[in-house]
Amino acid sequence: MNAKANKNQGSCIEPSYYQAVTKAIRTQAVQILKEGTVAGLVGYLPGRRKGTARPALITTPEEAEKLIFSPACVNNLSVYLTKSKKGVLKQGRIGIVAKGCDMRALAGLMGESQIKREDLFIIAVDCAGVYGSGAERSETVTEANIARKCLECSVHHPEGADFVAGSATDLSGLTPLEAEEMARIEALPQAERWAFWKEHFSRCIRCMACRQVCPFCYCEQCLCDKNRPQAVESSPRPAGNTAWHIVRAMHLAGRCGGCAECERVCPMDIPLNLLNRRMAKELKELYDYEAGLAPAEKGPLTQYREDDDQSFIK
Amino acid sequence: MPQIITEENLRNLIDLLVKESKVVVGPKETGSVVLYQPLTAGSDLRLDSLPRRSAKELFFPICENILTYQRQDGKMQVTDVDRSHFPETVLIGAPPCDAASPAILDAVFSWDYNDEFYLERRRKSTIVGIACTKGDDACFCTAVGLARDTEAGSDLFLTPLKDGSYGCKAVTEKGKALVDAHAALFGEAASVDAALFVEQGTEKLDLAKIKNWLEGHFEDPLWEKIADICVGCGSCAFICPACHCFDINDEGSTEQGSRRKHWDACGFSKFTNHASGHNPRDVQNKRYRNRIMHKFKYYDDKFGKTLCTGCGRCVRACPVGIDIAEILSTINAKQD
Repeated sequence: MNAKANKNQGSCIEPSYYQAVTKAIRTQAVQILKEGTVAGLVGYLPGRRKGTARPALITTPEEAEKLIFSPACVNNLSVYLTKSKKGVLKQGRIGIVAKGCDMRALAGLMGESQIKREDLFIIAVDCAGVYGSGAERSETVTEANIARKCLECSVHHPEGADFVAGSATDLSGLTPLEAEEMARIEALPQAERWAFWKEHFSRCIRCMACRQVCPFCYCEQCLCDKNRPQAVESSPRPAGNTAWHIVRAMHLAGRCGGCAECERVCPMDIPLNLLNRRMAKELKELYDYEAGLAPAEKGPLTQYREDDDQSFIK
Repeated sequence: MPQIITEENLRNLIDLLVKESKVVVGPKETGSVVLYQPLTAGSDLRLDSLPRRSAKELFFPICENILTYQRQDGKMQVTDVDRSHFPETVLIGAPPCDAASPAILDAVFSWDYNDEFYLERRRKSTIVGIACTKGDDACFCTAVGLARDTEAGSDLFLTPLKDGSYGCKAVTEKGKALVDAHAALFGEAASVDAALFVEQGTEKLDLAKIKNWLEGHFEDPLWEKIADICVGCGSCAFICPACHCFDINDEGSTEQGSRRKHWDACGFSKFTNHASGHNPRDVQNKRYRNRIMHKFKYYDDKFGKTLCTGCGRCVRACPVGIDIAEILSTINAKQD
């Protein structure tokens, strides 16, 4: 599989690439389970419906033989390593199948002392892209059905894993729709930007899928669930919805790894990753900081320095 | 002679009803999604896609005030919501998986307590259902006992015909009244030729057998197997036509505010959290088990109805691919 063969520009990634990645994942997963390197592993199994996959917690080599990697493997599985899922995985070292974008979350969680590198066995995927929400789940991934985050992926050659499945995919030359959308919104007058978000937040039903699927929303007590005192209205109304999404964006600033799971799972199609990207841009400009590339104990917003810029205080 | 209404007259009917100051709700494009929304004109109606949220919100809104309070001169004034102002509403374009749900929910909202917020809206509503002409591999209405042409729950039922018009059948007095009041828009046809339906691939389930298995398997490893991957969000419950749990919150300041009733979901970790701190459904497995038990056992025990219409919304929306049709099929195949 050379770079040219997997070139995605304008055409598609061949299903054979995903099959080869699947084979590599299975072989590696079976081996580490047999050898007892890991107590369990989080990967993907096929779903009942055509072109679907779902996360799975695997503990035996037999189950590992059924693992897959396909364009339907959209989930960021690192959410299963956090406190919110405590007790689900067997104790011991855990294997995890991770795309490059998911590995940013792993790095972030290590930096925040939520997981330890030595407790993980990372089977990384040199990912050729996954399906976008609501996209046609055909055999092949094309520019028409690929997820928006994949259009401008910078981490599809993952580094620092214990094993990498697949190699040398090329996703260059795709149209960065999300960056274009963000630029469009940033260029709007303030009133129109406000109207844009107001319309989107009005559809929010507060199902909290955005929170529950986020690897960084691991707090055992969420501010938004408290009603005495109530900091954020919990009823799905414009004021509380807006407050919730601002709280979410602010808590993720400097932490969000950009997996865009919040946006993918939103049943109301709220473009939440635009908020995440805006925060990331802010961090880049102000502190020259990018979250999740390598485990970092402290980010710009979680430390105090004497020489911090204080010009914003008026 | 069968009655019909042309596509044009169906849209004219909406225009007329709007002129009569009735609230007409139907599938409408809203941002990037189709939702049941008030239609301002017949041209707003979209019949080519299942709305993202179900039609239950017409009767059981996402959030509503049930009272307001205000403190004046040290005295608290509490004001009830005037339900007589709820508008006469016509719901147009609900497929059987949505049209059937209010009739299922009537039982629970008029059981040990009459929920007048829900019931008053039901009294003032007319449901125009429409036979479904397409399904996808998430749909499973036929598996839970409904069909593409189930009239149950509809007051007036439309069947798309091959020539683009709709066959009409008044199922209830409300439906007949709607047709009689606008008789000029309805015509008669010598014969009707219904549009074809793409059959779903899902098998027919034995709901009695499934219920029987659930009765004997409150503690079963299956629950852990399924729910281990559940992330505990409320998307399945919120977009479900039949889920009806709600929470009540007082929101506002000490001076003024509202008591609000809004959607809640059994998947949330705090759903059954007691004031003592004890939580009988302390892990996701128990919460997911409750979801299945409620739909296919408890509701049937109490009201003789299944709390699922097979619309497939939860299957499509689950962030982690939990597939209720697959789970039911697994249980259906079990021998003990």
